Amino acid sequence: MSEPLIRTEGLTKRFRSGGGLFSRERVMTAVRDVTLEIARGEVLGVVGESGCGKSTLARLILRLIETTEGSVVFDGTELTALPPTALRAMRKRMAMVFQDPYSSLDPRFTLAEVLAEPFRVQGHDLPNDAVPAMLAAVGLPEALATSYPHQLSGGQRQRVGIARALALHPDLVVLDEPTASLDVSIQAQIIALLADLRDKMGLTYLFISHDLGLVRYFCDRIVVMYLGSVVEVLPNTQAAPRHPYTDALMRSGFAPDPARRREIVPLGGEIPSPFALPAGCAFATRCAFASDRCRRERPPLSQGLSHPVACFHPL
Amino acid sequence: MSALLELSGVSVAIGNVALVDRISLRVEAGRILGLVGESGSGKSLTAMAAMGLLPLIGGRVTEGEVRFAGRDMAGMSDAERRALRGRRIGFVTQNPMTALDPVQRIGAQVDIVSRLHLRLTKAAARARTLDLLTQLRIPDAAAVVDAYPHQLSGGMKQRIVIAMALAGDPELIIADEPTTALDVTVQAQIIQILGALVRDRGLALLLITHDMGVIAQICDRVAVLYSGRLVEEGPVGPIFANPAHPYTAALIDCIPQEGMAKRSLRGIPGAVPSALAFPPGCRFHPRCRRATETCRDDAPPLLPLGAGSVACHHAGPP
Repeated sequence: MSEPLIRTEGLTKRFRSGGGLFSRERVMTAVRDVTLEIARGEVLGVVGESGCGKSTLARLILRLIETTEGSVVFDGTELTALPPTALRAMRKRMAMVFQDPYSSLDPRFTLAEVLAEPFRVQGHDLPNDAVPAMLAAVGLPEALATSYPHQLSGGQRQRVGIARALALHPDLVVLDEPTASLDVSIQAQIIALLADLRDKMGLTYLFISHDLGLVRYFCDRIVVMYLGSVVEVLPNTQAAPRHPYTDALMRSGFAPDPARRREIVPLGGEIPSPFALPAGCAFATRCAFASDRCRRERPPLSQGLSHPVACFHPL
Repeated sequence: MSALLELSGVSVAIGNVALVDRISLRVEAGRILGLVGESGSGKSLTAMAAMGLLPLIGGRVTEGEVRFAGRDMAGMSDAERRALRGRRIGFVTQNPMTALDPVQRIGAQVDIVSRLHLRLTKAAARARTLDLLTQLRIPDAAAVVDAYPHQLSGGMKQRIVIAMALAGDPELIIADEPTTALDVTVQAQIIQILGALVRDRGLALLLITHDMGVIAQICDRVAVLYSGRLVEEGPVGPIFANPAHPYTAALIDCIPQEGMAKRSLRGIPGAVPSALAFPPGCRFHPRCRRATETCRDDAPPLLPLGAGSVACHHAGPP
């Protein structure tokens, strides 16, 4: 196999809060010891619930925030130590599509200005036909070039966000919940568009979502996160979950088919605070299979099974 | 069986913009009616109309009738309507943070409902609150009543809102996107709790959602709204197995499912129209694959079909 486009090693991010005059400093571990690879042309899904660290992980990979520990290698270059000029040049090759198309587009810019911005930031000349071509590539009429974001629907805005991300033909695109604020009929349009663009442009996607059903439909491989740690890496979309948390996530989704109603077995227990992660497995407080060992010791992401799972009692 | 809540031909407008067009719905005791639609379909306005809360947002019922337990709500005094809400109709909102007062302890916020509506004493109200929280499987209810909302997780807060809705011992619960702001594992908990309430207490539930999966999981019947109009209504079994309206079918097809082939999801072309420019004829026709000349000119009436009804000139299997 060829060199992966991205490789992270022991990536960790801790945020500090308080520590002023009036409060004790508290440390929150948002991402803990994440090692993963993204192959060229792959769609890697990262799935987890709020607070699991998936968005922080994406921002660490793009170095939009600084890492506390660990490394990110992008196409052979270590990003965490790169000086600002070199980082900016590298940034041409990566882009991000944000969740909320309402707040990620500057309301004072016309679409033509929004789409010209990446060229300006990178000091490139804007080719004459670039804006119409970019609009066409995401299925928007050329006439919209002079419109402002508020004149567009949510789906149209997200198409603009995608066009802007692709402006400089990046290798990697991070999609951070790109459809979470859209209606389902529009979500499906956007997912289809992303799939087409990936084929045409040979893109690599890091797709962040809380929706396991959507991730299983769209992605090649799936990383499941819980409270900052990777608990399982599903090698394909058919693989059966081995980690009890992934299993619970899968059982929490409802199929749009009354003939397939399921007995809901809700997860018990409470989610530990990210400011005080337990010494052992973070999921142990909610897990039906948890043993004393789980509460004492953190299970490593084991490679011995059919695929990587961080559990002492895999299913 | 007579319906607990019945809307007949209800239209809603805000200012002079007509947003909901002649919607009829029935919610019976011990049953769950799902009201599904995308943004701008009028589902929340329909719920506000059912509770007589439209004046709060400057809206009004321009046509039709809302009846609760056989009585026309338009004929009631404000005081009567207020007595109905909280006492006989409980409401669960989408965002638990806006339904809870951030500077009041949880216990006080739930107690007030039964003190006001059931005239319970302070002690009896607190006992009832603790009992409700325990029934909703809130761990350590005795400590939770002394907490403030910000100290609780989203799922816990939503259970408190449900407890508030139940505190007046209502017959009907109206839940507007009760799980949309929640994580999936928590959504599953809340859906299970709502289903159990209907089963165990014989409550009627009007469940508003944009999620066809949730509808399929717990509803008895479903009403599909598009741009302010009811396009299809009926028992969930036949509707999911053989949706007669192309919009219903398309909405189901938008959901990624187990074993679905890659690239099979295409969405519905176009976008939901603005209420300021609803298309003539059938409002879905600009996005519909079956649309013909007739659809552009004439709005299809809602006609009975099987155990439900559908509004489409080309209703039936694709």
